[in-house]
Amino acid sequence: MKNESKIGIFLCECGGKIGNRIDLPRVCELMRYEPWAHLATHPYPCLAPGLEAMKAEIQAKGLNRILIGGCSSRVMKKRFTKGLAPVGIERQQIEMINLKDHVAAVHEATPQELARKAATLISGGLASLRLLEAYKPVSLAFEGPALILGGGISGFAAARELSRQGMASILFAKSLTAEGVLDALYRTFPGCRLYCGEMADLLKEAFAHPLIKVMPDQPIDYIVGGVGDYHLGLRQPDGNVTEVDGAAIIVALDREFGSANIDYIGGAGRVCDLLDLEEQLVEGEIKPGKVLFWVNSPEHGVAAQKFAAMAAWRDSLVMARENPLVKPTVLYPANITLPLSGADLLEARGHGISLQSYAPEVHPVVQSGYMSFVSPSDNLEHEVQWDTLVVPGVPGDPAAKAEELLRWLPIYPENGGRLKKSHIKFWPEQLPDESLFFTGSAGGLCDLNEVLQQGKKAAQGVLHLREKARQGRLVSPVVVHVDKDLCEGCGLCTEICPCGGIEHVKPGSGPVPRETDNHLCSGGGTCAATCPYEAIKVMNNTIQQLEARVKAMVTQMQENEILGFVCGWGGLSSAEQAAVKGLTYPTGIYLIPVNCLGSIDPSILSLAFLNGVKGIMLAGCTPTHSCHYHYGVDHSWYRVNALKKLLSLAGLERQRIAVGYVEVNEPESFVRMAESHLDTLEKLPPLPRDDQTMAKLWAIHATMHRPRVRWVLGTSLRRPTEKVFPGSQFNAVDADETMLDVLKEEYTVSRIFKALSDQALSPPELAKVLEEPAKNLTPILTDMAKDGRIVAQSWEKGYPLYALGKK
Amino acid sequence: MSAKKTQKAKESKKAKKEKDDGLIRFKINGQAVEARAGWTILETARQNGINIPTLCFHPAVEPIGSCRLCVVEVRQNGYSRVAASCITPVQGGVEVLTDTEEVLNVRRWVLEMLLANCPASHQIRELAKEHGVTSTRFKVEHPEDACPRCGLCVRACDEVVGVRAISLGNRGVFKEVTAPYNQRSMECIRCGTCLYVCPAGAMEQLFPLVSAP
Repeated sequence: MKNESKIGIFLCECGGKIGNRIDLPRVCELMRYEPWAHLATHPYPCLAPGLEAMKAEIQAKGLNRILIGGCSSRVMKKRFTKGLAPVGIERQQIEMINLKDHVAAVHEATPQELARKAATLISGGLASLRLLEAYKPVSLAFEGPALILGGGISGFAAARELSRQGMASILFAKSLTAEGVLDALYRTFPGCRLYCGEMADLLKEAFAHPLIKVMPDQPIDYIVGGVGDYHLGLRQPDGNVTEVDGAAIIVALDREFGSANIDYIGGAGRVCDLLDLEEQLVEGEIKPGKVLFWVNSPEHGVAAQKFAAMAAWRDSLVMARENPLVKPTVLYPANITLPLSGADLLEARGHGISLQSYAPEVHPVVQSGYMSFVSPSDNLEHEVQWDTLVVPGVPGDPAAKAEELLRWLPIYPENGGRLKKSHIKFWPEQLPDESLFFTGSAGGLCDLNEVLQQGKKAAQGVLHLREKARQGRLVSPVVVHVDKDLCEGCGLCTEICPCGGIEHVKPGSGPVPRETDNHLCSGGGTCAATCPYEAIKVMNNTIQQLEARVKAMVTQMQENEILGFVCGWGGLSSAEQAAVKGLTYPTGIYLIPVNCLGSIDPSILSLAFLNGVKGIMLAGCTPTHSCHYHYGVDHSWYRVNALKKLLSLAGLERQRIAVGYVEVNEPESFVRMAESHLDTLEKLPPLPRDDQTMAKLWAIHATMHRPRVRWVLGTSLRRPTEKVFPGSQFNAVDADETMLDVLKEEYTVSRIFKALSDQALSPPELAKVLEEPAKNLTPILTDMAKDGRIVAQSWEKGYPLYALGKK
Repeated sequence: MSAKKTQKAKESKKAKKEKDDGLIRFKINGQAVEARAGWTILETARQNGINIPTLCFHPAVEPIGSCRLCVVEVRQNGYSRVAASCITPVQGGVEVLTDTEEVLNVRRWVLEMLLANCPASHQIRELAKEHGVTSTRFKVEHPEDACPRCGLCVRACDEVVGVRAISLGNRGVFKEVTAPYNQRSMECIRCGTCLYVCPAGAMEQLFPLVSAP
């Protein structure tokens, strides 16, 4: 990409859908002073003839940035990326302004009025495109073994698959012999004794293979580095830490079962749980008689019941095969279906195994030697005889190992103790490869067979990465860059990053600049907007680009018009669906789509006000459960809140800015939201543009750039799982007042800077200019003078005359 | 003899010339149009401002010609056929007619069947009205159904988004938009592309059924 930008603007008539609603010749006229190299209107740029014409024009004029004023970027960008690739235009060089769904289809104004709105949106796009920076994608090396952590059984399947393809792996196992692993297997997969033969073969191969190194499972001290180059610190028994390096990480983690509480059943030796039974099977004790497996405990969920029923069926088969005098019965609730084939059922009949379902509405009753249950087929109570009664074990919480790993990897615990990889939902083109592999029953109860399949699949994922790296194609599309000179190593970004895109550093290594792992980065941008030192940049989507867009748009907007930031998921899709559905709303709101509201730097909001926008609306996904970037929208809330406080401090109306939540498929909500905010703002005067207000707005903007304010904003977030408030706050009011104090102080500092940038002033003079009591300013001035931000130039009537310091 | 030869030579020269500029020339509704190899009749018509109604067509995905609403009559060498313009490649020398009685008749039939298939769709009813179709002689089995089964959402999910969260289940008259195994899809990223492309407004009702929150 050349740095000198030659921008081509292509406007789409959309066969009249845009052309009839927006006066496109007028748009062209309005654009005449903008810096473009080519401007053309086509009936359908997206169809083959249109693309052909665009390609010819791009080549003839040597264009290197393309702005298409047409329809939805989400849906159509791929088509243009593919269509324009032959003339050397890449995805990021294309900017799409949605004239159809943000202007033509949703407003009732005249084509001339809409032309002005269209031109304003396009100017914003142009301003952003001009700042597009060239960057070289870095291809990653992928050397070294795969690290298989967690001690789950699927790790062996993964290691075997890797070794068969010639890739080395280091596997951390709970036991260093095949027998040891097999003996402990029943604790994680009860009822899987049936597979022991195959498991033994798998383990034998894994332990004997030269490419697989099995190491004892040691406590993990740290995991640093990223895809292609991980470093794992292992704490040795003597307290030292040894480091192991690898190219990829596979987490294989299983859920252990605990003993069930059978005291309430009684029955001494005749009643046991599945784990006890398994132990007896290990010792080869199979007592003859009627064995009843009772799948109870609905409190663990259907999945656990299904698992228990299948375990009971497999153990029945083992017992019946070994000892024909054993007559097993599996009594399972009728709301689960057993995934058994016809052949399985035939075998069951052959061994005399009875599979009996009971109506879950009526709890079966245990008697001595009998059990009564209600059959779902006739609603009648039946009885079944037993000599041994077996109930399932209890699925335990994720192991201590999981706790260790959660700190370092983007894995999150869910309700019910399940572990999940970051639940960020991407467009696949944002992250083309799976880079972190999570397998095992800790991610969801399942049987041994499935877990081994998961392991194999994870190994194939690793091999896919290796193959790509060998061809030099292991390059990530989103590139987040940390400026090492600006980064102070505070670690806030690592703390808030939900996707693992910011690498960890070793504990105790102090404030070292962060590195990014672009293979895990989702490009959400919350980190960049939070960084106190503004050291993080999301390439092709920088804060500077958004700033330029906002500035360009706001300067062209009328004094009663407002900006609407919509997140790329709930907000944008609902806004565009409103157009598809034929809903309309007033023209006064100019939409700017962003990836996530969390990626909007607080200074962007203040900049918009500084440039004179009347109000701002933000529409994002509903917090916590549907934000695609975990807490992006929550971070945004704190920034909006801070701005409200600052507006209030400046004597302006807080309600000029509002954040709203809308889900995908809620176009009506979006329209209501926009109309309501426009209504609110209609009652307010336009933003005053006098010197005094401008100075205040400047101070607000400067405050949003202050590291201390940004730090407080970044750390303010209290996630729903967290009971305590951040820092030393005890309650909501305390936390809010602390934030207000910080904002007040920093706002005053900013105002002092602004006042002193014009002339040197003494404290009483400053108090007069800022309209603040002098006693409020004195401590701040003393502080500022102490660290050299301001200096006393001379003395006048016993007061220092302050001027800006060199700092 | 020689005159014939020169004429032939002239003709071949002419043909060669036409080949050279790579353009394919034919007529739509009597209007001479130029196209390139690989373009479809629909694309060429739209480029020249000739409107052909469509339903299952969207520029973001490959056309499959499932709705048959974009039919046109293609005349060549005295023969005539009715073809779906979105998937019919351009061909030199043919004559394309977009609103002959035969074409309109096919469209009306298609719309009548759609009215019976997805009577709840406001968009489909409007489209039918534009073509003078206000009622259907087919039996309406599901008056609440709005989905024309054009598969545009399914193709967009595959080709535009690339996640294949939804699919067309069953066959023939039982065909329906559903997620694999009739369960709410965990693959769905909730981007709303299907909602955007749906030409009948049916995805609004279907979306909560196919997408896991």
